[in-house]
Amino acid sequence: MAMKVVALAGNPNVGKTTVFNSLTGMRQHVGNWPGVTVEKKEGVFEYKGEKFLVVDLPGTYSLTAHSIDELVARNFLLNGNPDVVVNVVDATSLLRNLLLTMEIFEMGLKNVVIALNKIDLAEKKGIRIDPLKMSKALGVPVVAMSAKEGIGIEELKDKIYEMAQGRIKTNPVVPRYDPEVEREIEHITNSLKGTKLERRYPLRWLAIKLLQRDDEVMKLVLRHIGEERLREIMTHIGEAEARYGRAMDLIIASQKYEFIDRLTHEFMSYVGKEKESLTDQLDRILIHPVYGFIALAMVFYAVFKFIFALGLPLQEWLDGLFASFGEWLAPQIANETLRGLLVDGIIGGVGSVLSFFPLVFLLFFALSILEDVGYMARVAALMEGIMRKFGLPGKSVIPLVLGLGCNVPAVMATRTLEDERERLVTMLVSPFIPCSARLSVISFLAGAFFGSNHSIVALSVYLIAILVALLSAWLVGRFVVKGEESPFVIELPEYLIPSWKTVVTHSWERSKEFVKKAGTIILLGAIAIWYLSNYPVEIGSGKSYAEKLGYLFEPYMRLMGLDWKAAVSLLFGIIAKENVISTYGVIYGTTEAIKNAMTPLQAYVLAVVTTLYIPCIATIGAIRAESNWKWALFTTAYMIAVASIVGILIWHAGVALGLA
Amino acid sequence: MGKLEEVLDLINSGVTQEMEIAKRLGLAKEEVSDIIKILENLGYVEKVEAGSKTCESCPLKKVCYGSCLKPTGVVAYRIRENVQEKG
Ligand SMILES: Nc1nc2c(ncn2[C@@H]2O[C@H](COP(=O)(O)OP(=O)(O)OP(=O)(O)O)[C@@H](O)[C@H]2O)c(=O)[nH]1
Ligand SMILES: [Mg+2]
Repeated sequence: MAMKVVALAGNPNVGKTTVFNSLTGMRQHVGNWPGVTVEKKEGVFEYKGEKFLVVDLPGTYSLTAHSIDELVARNFLLNGNPDVVVNVVDATSLLRNLLLTMEIFEMGLKNVVIALNKIDLAEKKGIRIDPLKMSKALGVPVVAMSAKEGIGIEELKDKIYEMAQGRIKTNPVVPRYDPEVEREIEHITNSLKGTKLERRYPLRWLAIKLLQRDDEVMKLVLRHIGEERLREIMTHIGEAEARYGRAMDLIIASQKYEFIDRLTHEFMSYVGKEKESLTDQLDRILIHPVYGFIALAMVFYAVFKFIFALGLPLQEWLDGLFASFGEWLAPQIANETLRGLLVDGIIGGVGSVLSFFPLVFLLFFALSILEDVGYMARVAALMEGIMRKFGLPGKSVIPLVLGLGCNVPAVMATRTLEDERERLVTMLVSPFIPCSARLSVISFLAGAFFGSNHSIVALSVYLIAILVALLSAWLVGRFVVKGEESPFVIELPEYLIPSWKTVVTHSWERSKEFVKKAGTIILLGAIAIWYLSNYPVEIGSGKSYAEKLGYLFEPYMRLMGLDWKAAVSLLFGIIAKENVISTYGVIYGTTEAIKNAMTPLQAYVLAVVTTLYIPCIATIGAIRAESNWKWALFTTAYMIAVASIVGILIWHAGVALGLA
Repeated sequence: MGKLEEVLDLINSGVTQEMEIAKRLGLAKEEVSDIIKILENLGYVEKVEAGSKTCESCPLKKVCYGSCLKPTGVVAYRIRENVQEKG
């Protein structure tokens, strides 16, 4: 006697294979379906002397011809003549799972057993399902089981056996739709009546598939009723869709879902929720519209504390190391010019920048941890609402968060914004976000002038920058008509303990750019600064190029309490913001000398102005590449204006408060 | 209007988080995830899985920790009219 065939159908990941394995004791072999490349698993089990061939079908959400998997599953159910269909459903996602069950029922299959799997999990989540009532509501047997724990397997075997013997009568429930949809179904079934299709398929099922514009069914029907009548049907459907303003497949899925929703009330209930997961508990606070921001501030404060506590001693040590190296080297070089160039220019300039490597590395280290833990996604989610309040698309949060590392990728990331005007606005504001280069300037000044308050001072500069960015977006956005918002959903991942190895590799990958830059662009900058400050006459004489250049801007700098040296360093900072430090390094030589030359208020103004005043050359280039010269120049001019205003305001506010 | 349409409309209007959708519609987060899976299967929403090719080559990879969702732009019957011509 031929073996009875049992098909296992269900959504992906519901435990079909687990059920399959417990039924067959893993004696499965792998075969190929004729015509398709999808693998199926087959296995055999014996129960009460009867042998069954079990077929594990691909997991699918529906049985419309969306994918090969769906077709394979559907064709087997339609043409494979299974004696019993075991529909494995996940008890923790019953509504979604029953959508497929309804499709199976609509296909006219009667020999269906529902394997209500993962009841152990459902139990934990506080979902109570009464299998008897469920069986009554659905009209087919339901076996509650936990395939993983081996619960319910025997009962399932028994039900399969009984059903294959023809001893179980079923009456599968079939969903009903809106009158309008039902009218469409009737219209179609009437057109199909009398064709050969009627003997092979339930007409109601064909009608529903036509409503969903299922390619395969359309082809099938076409062969039987001809192009003209199919076209008439499809036009009719199109008219109904026009009345709904939606596609019929969505309407059908939606109404089916509502039908199931009502149905499950008869046998499913929730008793007290499962204890909230840690992620949910944390997210209650971390993405809360108020506490979330407090937490955000605390997290970033902690980040700065961490960076400074660990990084500053290292920075000072490195700085000292470069200084002693210079001192050691100087007497060895006879040529005065060469000595100046090497010791004051290169070691003084590049060294002062390089000494900040620990801080930059630690910044990336902290950012990597925040990313890998899953916190950055929360920051994005939190800020996203704020972005929109300031007239930026929610998506713009991504470039802005990216900007914390470097503004160039931030500008490039605006590509993902579809609306051109929103893109331009985001591009304009992203250079305000303090990148890692500016971190070195900020921490240099904060560390040198603010003692133990450095973290809070640095954080305040960041806050000012972000605030300026948002206000700018709002301001510029006023003159920019808002385009269509392109929606974007941030999936919040579970919090994870990051792998230290990836965090370290990641941070190194990103921070080594800083070292590379020090060896190239900063090096050239330092040489140039050294040259300008030593020719034609040494600095201090008032005749060096640097002084002349600085004096040109000094009246302007005075407005914000800064001098010609700031002017020169900011000029060089255009090439790369680190040059602000290296310029001071070249001009003053030691950190001590710098400390004596400025007040904390001046240092603070300089930190803020450095952060805001202009995009670096690379960023300007990126803006030009992503938009045009005009926009790049406008952004530059705009930033200079904003930095001047903010700088002047802070200076005068500080003077008024007696901080000068 | 059913829950499926409500969720889809919210996504199309730019509500970006499952949690937010759940809150606005008064649904459990798990149910919203399930509904999104259904919409995804219907082709109305696209999920870019973390680690997939699209995800790996995405310029936002560094800040985007995980998977993301985007609507496919299929909004109404009109989009499907070309299918009709094909048939
Ligand atoms: N808690 C619990 N987990 C289960 C149960 N059955 C299966 N699982 C788990 O669910 C996951 C998916 O199981 P599979 O058997 O691979 O699911 P599937 O339906 O074959 O999945 P696809 O082949 O991808 O469609 C695995 O991690 C199983 O361990 C169960 O009864 N209880
Ligand atoms: Mg499987």
